[in-house]
Amino acid sequence: MIAFFKKRPYIFFLLPGFILYTIFVIYPIFAAINISFFEWNGISEKVFVGLGNYIELFTNPELMSQMTNALGHSFTLFVLTVLLQIPIQIIMAYMIYIKSKGKNFFQVAIFSPQFISTPIIVFIFTLLFDGNIGLFNRILELIGLGHLTRSWLGIPELGIYIVWIMITWAGIGVGMVYFIGAMKMISFDEIESAYLEGAGVWRRLYYIVLPQIKTTILNLVLAAYIFGMTIFDFSYILGGISGGINRNVDVMSLFFYRMAFGDQNPLGGRVNENSMGMGTTIAVVLFLMLFIVAIFQISLMYRKEEE
Amino acid sequence: MDKHHGIAAGIVKAFLWVYCSFAVFILGYILYNSFRPKKDILTNTLGSPSGFTFDNYKKLLVDDKFLRFFLNSVIILVASLLLIVIISSLTSYGIARYSFKLKKAIRVYFLIGLMFPAQLGIVPIFLLMSKLNLVDNLLSVIIVSASSISMPVFMLSNFFAKLPEEIHEAAIIDGAGEWTTFYKIMFPMASPVVFAVCITVSVQIWNQFFLPLIFLTSEKYKTVPLIIMKYTKNLFMTVDSAMAVSILSTVPILILFIIFSNRIIEGVTAGAVKG
Repeated sequence: MIAFFKKRPYIFFLLPGFILYTIFVIYPIFAAINISFFEWNGISEKVFVGLGNYIELFTNPELMSQMTNALGHSFTLFVLTVLLQIPIQIIMAYMIYIKSKGKNFFQVAIFSPQFISTPIIVFIFTLLFDGNIGLFNRILELIGLGHLTRSWLGIPELGIYIVWIMITWAGIGVGMVYFIGAMKMISFDEIESAYLEGAGVWRRLYYIVLPQIKTTILNLVLAAYIFGMTIFDFSYILGGISGGINRNVDVMSLFFYRMAFGDQNPLGGRVNENSMGMGTTIAVVLFLMLFIVAIFQISLMYRKEEE
Repeated sequence: MDKHHGIAAGIVKAFLWVYCSFAVFILGYILYNSFRPKKDILTNTLGSPSGFTFDNYKKLLVDDKFLRFFLNSVIILVASLLLIVIISSLTSYGIARYSFKLKKAIRVYFLIGLMFPAQLGIVPIFLLMSKLNLVDNLLSVIIVSASSISMPVFMLSNFFAKLPEEIHEAAIIDGAGEWTTFYKIMFPMASPVVFAVCITVSVQIWNQFFLPLIFLTSEKYKTVPLIIMKYTKNLFMTVDSAMAVSILSTVPILILFIIFSNRIIEGVTAGAVKG
């Protein structure tokens, strides 16, 4: 027995992490799949319903409309991030990379909101766009556009876009720093020869830099997808557990939280008698949506490693 | 190379100046208002002050005992961070330094957590924690936070795998055991990567909202983000406290960031390049 472990010292190194990780990261995935086959509120007797929860989720008009709404918003966040945030991050990173004046200030100021708690981010945007105390309205009044003032946060159609703006302001620095890191790996000779051939800043960005940061772009696109599916706090803080006026800021994770832990009671919920069953069912649907991307990402990581 | 980047770049840079100044402006704005009475903030947002007051801070620190919540957050951060560093460096070392049959599978196994955040498995985790009687206990948040070791393990095992084999062999020849080799030689060498791990993980843990929301139900265990929400929820009642709480919970961390900004940004970059 001792000889067995003596020959395999790695077991001692692996064991603590393996146990903790298995219990609190891997086991819950399978346990959630298991619970999703039961009708259960977490307290009373579990009743096996097979795929019943899944059938209900996809056929109950109320659940279905809540889910498509939340899913739509999650996708909106993902698409906006890919189409707007990533290009902006690249340009910001590039401006710092080419040593623009004030690059240290840029870097710190763009990155720092990362350290501000989400409720404060939401508070800051309330201070800006609130109907009564909002700075934006004050500024409109000051420049004589007083007739345009309104309660910006109270317009349901704007909700998810405001959430996106908050997320972007808070988190844009991380991706930018990743891009700066990737750009610094490009060999200086290549940039210099392009410069000597007369390529301007933007041509150099397009022809030399962009092709070399492809992997980083792809990784951030995948991260944006995972983020869109799992983002929770902004919507919860801004719109509460119901997801805002007409659920205008609802997202997938909030929908899941509402079903599983809704109401005041942590074991309550809208589908009260089946909160745990329906909650885990939604979690499994989310797992599956992430799983497709996960396979893709792991294979990418391995290809990169084998290079 | 040229310092003139053309008109388009000039316009982009001008935008950047405005954008970056916004962060400074908004912080200054909140700081300024945190010293004003509520009535002033609500009715005269931009106007000159009718008087400065420390009441907002006094109320927060003395009446509401804000430091207790700060302490909760610090306890969770320090304990989780310690656990993560110890556990993930052990695990990574085990994966990277030894060759064994299931090595590749184990590596992929530890990556799974990158794609599935803890919140999706929260129902089983919650049930488990209530069985262990850890709901409404800081330990629950610490344990769950410390279990997401996918990213740290990935970064650290890449580092350990790249260390030359000779160092390990030399230590063994000198009579050091496996454990001593790790503890005295390999782990100290990893300190830049450990620093990068700490930075990435600390930001997540400090700002985490979901786990404390689920697990910490009684007021005395609430963390900073949760308690901030109490003040920002209803601005007409508590806008003065909201201003002060924003400053109290943001400024110390921003000062730390600005002092160490170069190392922190390098750390994050290192995490990305290795990720």
